[in-house]
Amino acid sequence: MSSLAAQRDATLTGVTFTADAIRLDRVTKIYGEGEAATIAVDEVSCGILRGSWTAVMGASGHGKSTLLQLMGGLDRPSAGTVVLDGIEITALRPVELAKVRARKLGFVFQFFNLLPHLTAVENVGLALWFGGRNGGASAASAVALLDRVGLADKAHHLPSMLSGGQQQRVAIARALANDPALLLMDEPTGNLDSTAEAEMLGLLNGLHRDEGRTIVVVTHSDEVARHAERVIYVRDGRITSGALC
Amino acid sequence: MNLPTLVWRNLVRRRGRFAFTLAGTAIGVAAFVALLTIGQGLTRDVHRQAQGLGADLVVTPKGWCAYEQISVLTGEQLPEAIPEADVAKIVAVPGLKAVVPHLNEQTAFRNRPVPVIGVVPAEMRALRGWTVSEGRYFASADEAGVVLGSAIAQQFALKPGDAFTVRGRPVPVLGVLRETGTKDDIATFVPLALAQQLYGVEGKVSFLTVRVADLSQIEQAKLAIEEAANVSVVSDRQLVSSILSIVGAVGSAMQAVAAVGVLAAAFGILNTLLTAVYERRREIGILQAIGGTRRILFAAFILESMLYGLLGGAGGVALGGVAARLLGPYFAANNGVMVALQAAPTAVLPDVSTIFAILLSSTIVAIVAGLYPAARAAQLSPVEAMRHV
Repeated sequence: MSSLAAQRDATLTGVTFTADAIRLDRVTKIYGEGEAATIAVDEVSCGILRGSWTAVMGASGHGKSTLLQLMGGLDRPSAGTVVLDGIEITALRPVELAKVRARKLGFVFQFFNLLPHLTAVENVGLALWFGGRNGGASAASAVALLDRVGLADKAHHLPSMLSGGQQQRVAIARALANDPALLLMDEPTGNLDSTAEAEMLGLLNGLHRDEGRTIVVVTHSDEVARHAERVIYVRDGRITSGALC
Repeated sequence: MNLPTLVWRNLVRRRGRFAFTLAGTAIGVAAFVALLTIGQGLTRDVHRQAQGLGADLVVTPKGWCAYEQISVLTGEQLPEAIPEADVAKIVAVPGLKAVVPHLNEQTAFRNRPVPVIGVVPAEMRALRGWTVSEGRYFASADEAGVVLGSAIAQQFALKPGDAFTVRGRPVPVLGVLRETGTKDDIATFVPLALAQQLYGVEGKVSFLTVRVADLSQIEQAKLAIEEAANVSVVSDRQLVSSILSIVGAVGSAMQAVAAVGVLAAAFGILNTLLTAVYERRREIGILQAIGGTRRILFAAFILESMLYGLLGGAGGVALGGVAARLLGPYFAANNGVMVALQAAPTAVLPDVSTIFAILLSSTIVAIVAGLYPAARAAQLSPVEAMRHV
């Protein structure tokens, strides 16, 4: 852990409280072996403050999405550690990692990634189930979450009956299901028209400003980056600029 | 949302594939159930026919094979090989209540084969407990006439007074027997002397049925008969057990073939699920990304597989029961070893414990078939799975 990050940690009544929602320490990801080895992420150390909105930018193929996957525990680094909300997720067994993903992370993807044969409310219900909530109360919670993103009236629609913007809002409702410590978004507006993008940014602004959500967005969009408090630039698997890293 | 809901939605999302895989499983199980049911029906019928025989011992010529022994019950044509001189010796054996000779022959009537059995009328009636539904029984032991089994009378629309022909010679129909539920329903009966004359086998019979005075002395009676004449004697129980061993062997062989069908259905389930794992790779990645554990993914596919086994098994039991009812008589009519079911098909659904065992087996087979696809799904890494579009 860097000295800067250490300074940001405080010990409160015996419980280690970190100011970072997530912290990466000398994280490296190498694909392939020997001569075919490709370094996707190269010794990245970085902390994301709680309640912050960070945009990750850079050209395609430079490691932005890999970085996001490592933050979300979807992939394991070749070296280094990732600490999410005080838990070193790189040391967890698969089953524990799945629980952390369910309870502490919310993912939003470019292609919405809703299950096509489940309705909006069922897609949100899945995340609630994985987070340990089930039964009638969870159905009410799922509708409330859809209401939060303005889609209560579309609760029983299949994804194919929704517009791209609406599908992405269902995805955000699903990501918020278990009150996550961190929202990770991979090109969330990449597949939306400008109107839907504006609506989406309005929704994210509300989540950040009103609810204090911690958001990390990988994006190519300057418009999205403009809304973020901080922009990290990635090039050749390294962070080339970003004030707090 | 919960596991059963997710699994059911996954199952019915591709209705055609769901239906075809289910049909494959149901057909495999149905073939098994049908053959099992037919086998059980045949076993039951063998017992009924043996009961209908009304004999404690059956006396046959020496060296008869099992097939010929079975024909004693089925009423099929048999060689006439016991001389009446031997019959007289057997009648003289002490401790026997009744000795009834049979001459099993066959004639063609309206181009259909019909069993013609030569009997001693009074003794035969006492042995079998026959009653007459139409017309009358033989008035004397040498009356020139024929008494018909109920199914034969019905099949050829014959009534008392009509002419029946045996080997081209007209023989008047005297009466029709009340239905017995045994092979007697599909046979015709003439006095022994007339039968011997018609078939040119004077002084010979096919076999004898014997009742002993004291059932505890049955073994002694058996030995005494074998000493008195150059014949073989089997008890009705031995006869039944030797027939059942053949029915059982044939049944087992058919069930083994049907089991291959169940195995093929299991591979059908495996194939369907492997295809589903491939098609749903991206969704598996999504489920993992939002917190689905490997255990949930594994359980989802296993439960899907289990439902194929359970639903397919239930469909198979129903389908197999219907098939047995429809095909049972056909099997019996076209397989000499299979005893005369055509008189009264009795194929019914297997009992509850057998149904339970079949459903349990088909479910277990389906679960085993689902293990590999489920393991494949659970082993996918989220990143690898989500890369798949």
